[in-house]
Amino acid sequence: MSNFVPLETLDRRSLIRTIALGLTALGTLDVEAAQHVHTETAAEKAKGPYKVKTFTPAEYKTLQRLAVLIVPPDSVSGSALDAGAPEFIDTLASQNQQIADIFHGGLAWLDAEMRKRYSSTFVAAKPEQQTQMLDALVEAGRELAERQNEELVYQKSPIYKDFTGYTVRRANELGAGVAFFDWVRKMTVDAFYTSPIGFKDLNYIGNRALSRYVVPAEAMDYAMKRSPFA
Amino acid sequence: MEPMPQNTSSQEVYDAVVVGSGAGGGTAVHVLTAKGLKVALLEAGPMLDVATEFKEHKVPTDYDHRGAEEGGKSYFGQGKPFGFFSTTSGGWQLEGEPYTVGEGSQFQWFRSRILGGRTNHYGRMSFRFAEYDFKPYDKDGLGFNWPISYQDIAPYYDKAEEFIGVAGTRENVPSCPDGKFHAAPPPKVHEMLVKKACDKLGIICIANRRAVITKNLNGRAACHYCGQCGRGCQTASAYSSAQVQVFPAMKTGKLKVFDLAMVREVLTDNNGKATGVLYIDKKTRTEKIIKAKVVVLAASACESTRILLNSKSKEFPNGLANGSGMLGRYLMDTVGFGLSGTVPALEGMPHYNTDGYGGAHLFMPWWLWDKHNKLDFPRGYHIEIGGGYGMPSVGGYHGAARRFGYGANMKSKIRESYGTSIGFAGRGEMIPNIHSYCELDPNVVDKWGIPVLKFHFKWTDYEWKQARHMEKTFADIITTMGGKVSGLSASQRESQGISIPGTIIHEVGGARMGKSAKDSILNGYCQTHEMKNLFVMDGASFASNPDKNPTLTINALAWRACDYLAEEMKKGNV
Repeated sequence: MSNFVPLETLDRRSLIRTIALGLTALGTLDVEAAQHVHTETAAEKAKGPYKVKTFTPAEYKTLQRLAVLIVPPDSVSGSALDAGAPEFIDTLASQNQQIADIFHGGLAWLDAEMRKRYSSTFVAAKPEQQTQMLDALVEAGRELAERQNEELVYQKSPIYKDFTGYTVRRANELGAGVAFFDWVRKMTVDAFYTSPIGFKDLNYIGNRALSRYVVPAEAMDYAMKRSPFA
Repeated sequence: MEPMPQNTSSQEVYDAVVVGSGAGGGTAVHVLTAKGLKVALLEAGPMLDVATEFKEHKVPTDYDHRGAEEGGKSYFGQGKPFGFFSTTSGGWQLEGEPYTVGEGSQFQWFRSRILGGRTNHYGRMSFRFAEYDFKPYDKDGLGFNWPISYQDIAPYYDKAEEFIGVAGTRENVPSCPDGKFHAAPPPKVHEMLVKKACDKLGIICIANRRAVITKNLNGRAACHYCGQCGRGCQTASAYSSAQVQVFPAMKTGKLKVFDLAMVREVLTDNNGKATGVLYIDKKTRTEKIIKAKVVVLAASACESTRILLNSKSKEFPNGLANGSGMLGRYLMDTVGFGLSGTVPALEGMPHYNTDGYGGAHLFMPWWLWDKHNKLDFPRGYHIEIGGGYGMPSVGGYHGAARRFGYGANMKSKIRESYGTSIGFAGRGEMIPNIHSYCELDPNVVDKWGIPVLKFHFKWTDYEWKQARHMEKTFADIITTMGGKVSGLSASQRESQGISIPGTIIHEVGGARMGKSAKDSILNGYCQTHEMKNLFVMDGASFASNPDKNPTLTINALAWRACDYLAEEMKKGNV
């Protein structure tokens, strides 16, 4: 098909280098390709143990525990803690005071709520107490979302548009916790799925250089057999 | 024009000065330098450094922020358009270079500021206009005919396709004429399901046509199927004007590139001729002049229009080449609507690499071109397909996480649903209307002191009804595949079922071509009716905006215009 080198089995690092070699062989873009390899290598900086920048040891421990609860390890892959979720949150919080404030405040709220409920901090509580707390936040979050949809319907309806009474948000005592949990969950999930562990969990196998593009027959057969076109 | 005190005018007179380095400007410098002309190219952004700009093959963990950008900007809606990894350089708002929008209108203007412009990241969809697309008024009495026919431009579609490289298959579909194609890659699994559904529904579904080469061409390596064209292509297997046209033209020694050069106006003499352009050198904040025998504007439809509007003088109080008063009028975008769903037949499928040559391997051209008497809207649309096992990215799983809570259940639900979604995007033709135009805002200048554009835009019933037809069609395809339609996305709800004008980034018109100087700015060769040595070679020339993405036609029109321009120069007419 082409004189381009077949590369199916190479990892990304070798792939970049091989592309560079291929280009040089073709006599084009060699400078750019060489530059690319250089940039790529520089990005692969060695990583030592992570130094926490933003959070107190207690806060960081809570983030670590939350990471394991949000994306736990299972037979397929590791946890969000293994995937570096607390480091990711700490890094971004160190660059953005708004994120730092959301997490400082949210983590303080969580411990305060845990003390009320179980006379314990989140980290020191029993696992079932921790999940009870998170379950309560998920439940309250769903309720708030439903209510918000309801309110949007009222706001959009011409019948109700002057009745501001219908659009007043009813308070939920867990509201602040719901907002915080949404933050910690989305950043934890992001950190997990964008990591090599997350790639493996989803069995993502793209981002390679191929000399030819082939769709495996077993995948095609699998879907066709289960489709209305079988 | 009176000389400005800051001018440090160079004495050199170029054969042509080209303003803008995207599809139109890239083609112009390639064709003109190949003919031996001495050309200056001005770009409002910096030079392109492929090695640092293109994030091809990178993964999120190459960055501490994983793609959420420094300080997690993407969490606050302040990240780059189309995400961190996209090679967009610019966006809907540019620092210090505003535009305004008239009351009651919505319009978003995407501008790129880098060598190559939007061709660095665009979708590479490359469809020829059909014969009927050049004579739309003859077909349904709406809009305007072009002054040229398909036969006039067909040889230039050939040249453009052969040079930039377009993969596709010959299908003999009247709404989407065949071209000179590289071999197209095979359909993916979800696309075959779509095709089966389309066969049942009487919708044509064929190989996509994208500006990606699948065999080596002019020193460019064939596609290596990493699917990341939007991040920029290091091997230039996907067309970008910078890599494919401008860099090679620089090697001829005939081209000089001026980057960070923001053109304010076209300069003229007293004999009705353009003499060059005045630009702001962004590096030094000084005004400078480039003199040339011919001026080619290719700064994007609205930016070229803006330059002409700003080129005012005693003789031309309404801007240059604007005796008709049509400058800025009949601005168009593409009608956009999207719908997605989930497909049970894909659940549990053995995973495979769905990257391919970037974008979908199949698409649906307009299939009802001869059935408009049975429809309640006049013009057609094509359908683009989304789906597959994409690279996991920041933001990709927030919705699923909210739906499934947390913990082991959430984790397995996300795993099971990965790659089972399918999406459809309709891209339709709008009818040009008098409510959609741009003009100079008399009260606002950008940070270079240049008066800015004010936009006015309205969709009409023609577009709304077309979008409703898209909605029903996409839902039919999803259910015919055995799938389930998902709810509208937040942005769709916001715009209530049709794209916000400008957001499809197919804005064209503003200096449209036509037979008469009374109601158009350009002739069929992109030459202004009023000034023989002034050309506009970008989307501004479009008299209509068919459902075919505009880039390939901009390439072909610019090529044709340059052939004409060189001939006319030889004859001494320009």
